[in-house]
Amino acid sequence: MPNFVHLHSSSAYSAHFGVSWPGELAQAAAVDGDALAVTDRDGLYGMVKHVKACMDAGIDPIVGVDLAIVEEGPDGLETTGRVVVLAHGSSFPAPAAGYAALCRLVSTAHARSRVGVTLEEMAAAVLDPETGKVALTVLLGPYSPVGRALGGRRYLLPRTRLRQWRNAMPEGSLVVEVVSHLSTPGAPLSTVHAVRMLKLAQEFDVPAVLSNAVRYSREEDAATADVLDAARNIAPLDQLEDLQPTGQAWLKGAAAMEAVAHEVVHQGGYGSAELARLWANTAQLADKCRIDPVADLGWKQPRTPELDVLGLVHPAGVELRQRTEAGLNRRFGSLRGDALEKVRTRLEVELDTIGGLGFDSYFLTVAEVSDMIAGMGVRRAARGSGASSLVNYLLGISAVDPIANDLLFERFLSRDRSTLPDIDLDVESAQRHNVYRRIFERFGAKRVTLMSMQNSYRARGAVRDAGLALGMDRDEIDQIAKQLWRFSASSFREALEEKPELRDFAAQVRASRGVDGPGDPGDHGGHGHGGQLDMLVDLTERLDRLPRHISMHPCGVILGDSSLLARTPVQPSGMGLPMSQFDKHDMDAMGMLKLDVLGVRMQSAMAHAVREVIRLHPSREAVAAQGGHAPDAPFIGDGGAIDLDAVPLDDEPTFELIRSTHTLGCFQIESPGQRELVGKMAPEVFSDLVIDISLFRPGPMKSNMVKPYLESRAGFARPHYPHPDLVPVLAETHGVTVFHEQVLRTFATMTGCTLSRADEFRRALGNPAVEPAVEKAFRDKAAGKGYSAAVIEEVWAVLAAFGSFGFCKAHGAAFAVPTYQSAWLKAHHPAEFMAGLWEHDPGMYPRRLLVAEARRMGIPILPLDINASRGEYLAERTETGATGVRLSLAGVYGLSGTELKRILAGQPYTSLADLRDRARLSRPSLKRLAQLGALDSLHNQAKGRTGSTANRADLVAHVNSLPVHKSGRRGEPITGQLALPMEDVELGALAAGHPAAGLAETVATELDLLALDVSGHLMESYAPLLDSMGVSRASALLGLRNNTEVLVAGVRVATQTPPMRGGKRVVFISVDDGTGCVDTTFFTEAQEKSGPLLFGTRMLLIRGLTRRTGPRGITVQALEAWDLQDTASLPVPAGAPPGWLGPRQTDTIEEAHSNPRMLLGYGAVHDKQGVTSASGFTDHH
Amino acid sequence: MGIFTEGITVECPPGGTPVRLWWRGGCWSVCDEPLCWYERRPWWERETRMPPGEGVGMVDTRIWRLQVRKEDPHGLADDGGCLTLDVVQQRPGGSWRVIKIHDAVDDVFKEQDSA
Repeated sequence: MPNFVHLHSSSAYSAHFGVSWPGELAQAAAVDGDALAVTDRDGLYGMVKHVKACMDAGIDPIVGVDLAIVEEGPDGLETTGRVVVLAHGSSFPAPAAGYAALCRLVSTAHARSRVGVTLEEMAAAVLDPETGKVALTVLLGPYSPVGRALGGRRYLLPRTRLRQWRNAMPEGSLVVEVVSHLSTPGAPLSTVHAVRMLKLAQEFDVPAVLSNAVRYSREEDAATADVLDAARNIAPLDQLEDLQPTGQAWLKGAAAMEAVAHEVVHQGGYGSAELARLWANTAQLADKCRIDPVADLGWKQPRTPELDVLGLVHPAGVELRQRTEAGLNRRFGSLRGDALEKVRTRLEVELDTIGGLGFDSYFLTVAEVSDMIAGMGVRRAARGSGASSLVNYLLGISAVDPIANDLLFERFLSRDRSTLPDIDLDVESAQRHNVYRRIFERFGAKRVTLMSMQNSYRARGAVRDAGLALGMDRDEIDQIAKQLWRFSASSFREALEEKPELRDFAAQVRASRGVDGPGDPGDHGGHGHGGQLDMLVDLTERLDRLPRHISMHPCGVILGDSSLLARTPVQPSGMGLPMSQFDKHDMDAMGMLKLDVLGVRMQSAMAHAVREVIRLHPSREAVAAQGGHAPDAPFIGDGGAIDLDAVPLDDEPTFELIRSTHTLGCFQIESPGQRELVGKMAPEVFSDLVIDISLFRPGPMKSNMVKPYLESRAGFARPHYPHPDLVPVLAETHGVTVFHEQVLRTFATMTGCTLSRADEFRRALGNPAVEPAVEKAFRDKAAGKGYSAAVIEEVWAVLAAFGSFGFCKAHGAAFAVPTYQSAWLKAHHPAEFMAGLWEHDPGMYPRRLLVAEARRMGIPILPLDINASRGEYLAERTETGATGVRLSLAGVYGLSGTELKRILAGQPYTSLADLRDRARLSRPSLKRLAQLGALDSLHNQAKGRTGSTANRADLVAHVNSLPVHKSGRRGEPITGQLALPMEDVELGALAAGHPAAGLAETVATELDLLALDVSGHLMESYAPLLDSMGVSRASALLGLRNNTEVLVAGVRVATQTPPMRGGKRVVFISVDDGTGCVDTTFFTEAQEKSGPLLFGTRMLLIRGLTRRTGPRGITVQALEAWDLQDTASLPVPAGAPPGWLGPRQTDTIEEAHSNPRMLLGYGAVHDKQGVTSASGFTDHH
Repeated sequence: MGIFTEGITVECPPGGTPVRLWWRGGCWSVCDEPLCWYERRPWWERETRMPPGEGVGMVDTRIWRLQVRKEDPHGLADDGGCLTLDVVQQRPGGSWRVIKIHDAVDDVFKEQDSA
């Protein structure tokens, strides 16, 4: 029996259940089967990947779901079991009918809080509404309500249940699934149970099929399934009731399945006829369910909203032409002659390509969304390669002129590539959900759904769940997890050998081996783990990358026609709107139009800043005066409104600010590496920013492009061009290849190929499977065109190093706009800009660093005040006429949303009693407000009248002694009656008695309750200690010579570990000492010396050598680090001469390292505590 | 019924079922189709390593319940009747052990018949 088709298998996308990837399953199935079903738990999460994997393996895909069944019980809905549901293929009864029914069934199951469907819902769902025929088959297996009733040798219950199912389900939609995992006779999943199922099937005349309820492709993966069982049940392995009984759930070959079938049939007392029937039933059902990806799933056929939904009267092609013509007159109305002709030709090429690919309605759809957002008054900006398209510019989707910026359409879309292009829209992050809701309203809920994303095990989560499975101590696991830093769980063992911060743990692992087995002789472990740590490492590696759950994608919205919900199952997302069970990798295959609407905090921060400018300066004149703009500046409206998008891109103070490297808070250029790069590059015009942003990428970094670019730019070196033909291509970047567009033109110039072909070449770079073919084609064609071997060699080296990295110039240009705008705001309206930054927290640093930046800039930081503070960070004019930023009540720890609302509704307050009565705060909240000085204004007012000398400490003590607030409305003034303004007798009479808090104590309180140091910098209280050790301040470093040995100290604000050429890890740690940031670099040796301090410590003392990076830049190469709070460990030598560690010159360490710091920004991205969280360089979400 | 383990030699074609075994100085042939199942091993207590890609046979142990009849050295059937043995093949390594000798009546078969 050569062919066996598995009808029930879970892929890794069955979270906390399945082990193997669809590709592994399909390859295993293809050995002696010609089809495979993947039936993930409660969803089609792995379906698209499964179909792809089957196509790759040359077998037919079968799609289905392993779905929970719910039933009304005494305490509401309860889960009574799980069944497998398979979609029928195109002839049973019609193309796509089975798959559509499956999608709707899964969506139904997720439409309630307990996922699952009732028997009645199932019976209705298996029918195709069009034909009324059966489109799905339900498999009642060992986990089904019937199968679960078999235990304990019960006779009646399984029969009652099967009768119930058979009577409820339409004829021909039900089979019994016989599974034996060969467990102990009589136990679940034993052959005995399988026999009982087979007998039941015969008794009720329901066909029986054979499956193996597969959870992993290979036998050796069984242990991983055990660990997942533990993780799913949140219990250690030795306490699990739900642990798989055996390790037999692998994807067995036909012979092994035949052996299982034989066991069942033999033990049931049947003969070969029954065996053949079981086998034939299975094959028959498999045949019925073979999916034709094109006919059933609409494979790779894009679907966009119907024309009438878009409000079109003409065909999409005609409409697109009319609208772009109109845009041409609007945007290029002043052009004449050849210049206009050039634009027209470009437009024709684009329209021709778009029409040829059938994407007209796609562009109209995106334009519709873009217009809709603009109509909401929300800031928006196109990002990505979409800015390369003239059509996008003419439709108003993109604000970047592709002609002026010399952007190539072919980088965005070409006939050589039929996938839907990505057009990404950035919107204000605070408005993102509103925008989503409006898109649902505009296009109708049946045409829109959010996209989801898979969240997978990374090192920390994996070690936690592996530790849980082994029953290890929770605190101990937490300690280990905290040390794991940016490596994939699959290389845990390797990391143990290499990473200094894991040194202690590695020693524990070694020591634990000594306890009960052969280990390092003489190395006595005292932890009593008995080798458990070694096991922990192995199990952590096993969990690596396995999906854990899906969540709403940060920006993807799927738009389709009215058939969308028959093509993707949906489930509720965190924000309530439905999300698809498919992720971004599935979009293209399913022909789904995905629009990225990304919430960008910087856009919200800038919108906030502009609103604050207008609020304080409600006229054109006032805004111009405050910002230092020309009185008739065209970007300021009559009421003072600033149109950021109309600000000219040549403002000198803005570039001055950028060149100063004081760019904290500015979009894209605030990271330590970028501050260093802008310091060296000294941007003067907008296109410099485009280059700067594009240079700061792995491609240009890896191929060593930064240095030659900077040297040629500064005039130290003559630009080098491999061949005169390439001068026009590379002149804008002084001979250095920076942009994708330049790669395309290089290919086109040297091989004579089209630009769209060149883009295909570019995409092949870095892909080991196809790059060699591209290399050969390049070399042959270029040689054919007469280029010398040396030129070809040199150019190819650049192209190969460029890889698939590098940057699309269009993307750089789109990014440079908010970069410029944020720097413009910081240069002209700094206080309002800071208010926006604090409110929306857009950048990579903790908010307290931006408070420190405001302090450095001399912007008044106005403390919390019960009457002056609102629920936002607001700009405020101080008595001296300066503009400061008032802290927000929303930042106070423990103050509830309703308390905040009541405070705001009741402002202003005349006395403490008034505040108590009307805001009705809890005692802890009132106390916190007193501690933070928010009540000082009330207090001072009262003191002024009575001459009391009580201080804040007295006030806090008083508030703390007040009786707990009584609920009820007894004390409230009657509605309509005004509270009489009375003197605050209570506060005026407060007795002085407590010592006033010192600055250090006040700052500590502020950090505790606000996470900000407001009254002074956190480091100020360390000043005497630092001075005694001779620590240099950040502001003083620039005055030191290169290679000076220094001590620096501060609060950690950023930690990064970018991937390095040569694989050696470099750790960058930035600390803030109140006078600015010190950026330090830890190479291998310094990492060794610092060990566990590298990632866990908040306040650091660092010894190192200064490294001058440019006229305005200096960094410190670290030699060693200490925990500043662990005073005993600090290097204060007894009896050391004063200034023992003062700056001194050393010449021993040569300028060894080129400039790895610049790699920052695409490597590690840290969360706000300076701890790594995610990767990717578009971290300004 | 007794519980102990003894090393034995088993003749078993690869991937097939045992045919014959040597036990306590005699040769026994398997006289009925054997029963076979797997029992779980608490590997997390017994093993110190479980690296990805390894560990076949770590999670469960295969057990055969064999009906055997002693072979007469001259090829004639012994009339001592059938004996039921539980034997296990250990992985890795593949050595066989008897883990259980049953009395004449077999619980499992009895249970089957009533199912």
